[in-house]
Amino acid sequence: MTASAREKTLIYLLIALVLIVFMVPIYLILASSLKQPVDMFSQPPKFIFTPTLQNYYDLFTMRPFHLQILNSLIVALGSTAFSLVVGSLAAYAISRIKNKWINEVSFWILSMRMFPPITVVVPYYIIFKTVGLLDTPLALIIVYSTFNIPLTVWLMKGFFDEVPAALEEAAQVDGHGVIATFFWVTLPLTAPGLAVAAVFCFIFSWNEFLFALMLTGSKAQTVTVAVMSFWSSDAVQWGRIMAGSFIVLIPGMIFVLTCQRWLVKGLTMGSVKG
Amino acid sequence: MSSVALRGVVKRYGQLEVVHSVDLAIEEGEFVVLLGPSGCGKTTTLRMVAGLEDISAGEVEIAGRVVNTVAPKDRQIAMVFQNYALYPHMTVRQNMEFALKPQRLSTAEVKSRIAEAVRILGLDVLLDRKPSQLSGGQRQRVAMGRAMVRTPKVFLFDEPLSNLDAKLRNQVRLEIAKLHKRLGTTILYVTHDQIEAMTLADKIVIMKDGYIEQVGSPEEVFARPRNLFVATFIGSPSMNLVPAVVQITGKSVKLAAGPLTFDAPSSIEAQLRAGQKVTLGIRPSEITLVPDHASGLEASIEVTEYLGTEALLNLRIGEQDLCVQIPASSRPPLGQPTVRIDVDSRHLHVFDTESGLAILA
Repeated sequence: MTASAREKTLIYLLIALVLIVFMVPIYLILASSLKQPVDMFSQPPKFIFTPTLQNYYDLFTMRPFHLQILNSLIVALGSTAFSLVVGSLAAYAISRIKNKWINEVSFWILSMRMFPPITVVVPYYIIFKTVGLLDTPLALIIVYSTFNIPLTVWLMKGFFDEVPAALEEAAQVDGHGVIATFFWVTLPLTAPGLAVAAVFCFIFSWNEFLFALMLTGSKAQTVTVAVMSFWSSDAVQWGRIMAGSFIVLIPGMIFVLTCQRWLVKGLTMGSVKG
Repeated sequence: MSSVALRGVVKRYGQLEVVHSVDLAIEEGEFVVLLGPSGCGKTTTLRMVAGLEDISAGEVEIAGRVVNTVAPKDRQIAMVFQNYALYPHMTVRQNMEFALKPQRLSTAEVKSRIAEAVRILGLDVLLDRKPSQLSGGQRQRVAMGRAMVRTPKVFLFDEPLSNLDAKLRNQVRLEIAKLHKRLGTTILYVTHDQIEAMTLADKIVIMKDGYIEQVGSPEEVFARPRNLFVATFIGSPSMNLVPAVVQITGKSVKLAAGPLTFDAPSSIEAQLRAGQKVTLGIRPSEITLVPDHASGLEASIEVTEYLGTEALLNLRIGEQDLCVQIPASSRPPLGQPTVRIDVDSRHLHVFDTESGLAILA
């Protein structure tokens, strides 16, 4: 076997190993969600079994799971949209304004991402209780945005830096104002960056558990909290938990697959001079 | 009334002054080239005219109106950038339409202007392509087309040919010259390439370190350079420089440079002082080869460069190197060690070594 064939084989083996490590938990979730309770913990584990949709049925009949999915969608999409708008505008300003304060502002924004979320759970609880926003999707949108905006700023600033100033100057000479230039010239060129930011913001917001647990009740509860509600001190309803977990996985996968083309471009853009 | 006028224009970045009190008048329809090495302030000056840089002091006037505080879009200018600055996500047609959008013209008028630019520049088959699908020369023509459709009073070009290869540069340079002839619009053009300047310009403005060194037609700056910088910057190959000393004996005024000693041009004799250090400038094309028996100077041949229609002889006389430009057919046979040269003193350029200024009649 030639050296390059050996290298290729090794690479494929590594890829297979990584895929197994990442896919096995997903397989376990799906398989367990389709198993009867008696098959769940059988020894040896059953790979061939009679599947059932009972867990999925219970999920939607024992809880208003469809409403909780809707809450999660509202919160995730709302926070993503808000973070993209505010974050990209802030990133544009940081990229284009050159003065001694801008680095300080930039660092201050990024530092929001650095401290542990658990440290602000209680303050946020008090604030939202005071203003009457507890148990509302808006509270979660606000909280998630405080983490998503710094991420968006950090990602988008790099993309805005890559857009040549001459393009904006050309638009300026042609007669376009700053806002028109931003929306028609600069922003379209940073679409891959927006896609990356959107995916990260959505996934963080969709998967988030701690703030959803502490700041919501029955009205604004999200799917992550709803799934864990099947875990009580009396019993752990594994089948329903797995069914709920698999449903939680789906929107994230769809989002990533939809933005896949832009994701690859966005994550690798600028790494090779084109 | 000048089409564009700069009066005492200064540019500072903090405490650092990079453009020093530039005064320049550009007549309507004139093709003016700002020429100089990198960092001389030519692009900064152009950008101040465009409104892309603030003016620290002085005034810029376009079509009789002071435009210091006027936005670029209201200055009646159009600009062609060094790297084309075509919007990569738009087709050629969309690039041109986007340039006209702020003017809120009717659809018919937009179509008409684009059609005219397309016809003049030969862009018809390119309209639905994106910039990434175009060659460098095509992109530059599209950039010119995008500027043209705005029917400006002044075109500004910022080193538009610097990203093109040599052959393409010649082609696009010709197209720019034709465009100017056809439209008759005032053009302010920035380049570091003296060939572009000499071939395109009605007037060349030579800049160095933020100062204007000389303003004149290509013939003027070539034949009568005002100082050593202009003399060596203009002309390819560069002017030969020979350090010399003025020797006055009675009525005889000579410029002595070791084995190279010349009679001072009579037109400037009166301005020379005995012992004055001067630098003699001799264009390679002004040195002639003479037969062995004729009067002249013997020089050893260091290197012969064959360029097709002409040849460059790199000669040495004593410690002095000289470059001579001759028709290729006149070049000495291979292996010949020496040649005899002559210089007509009427073609000598004499510069005061200390100040660098030309000593003119």
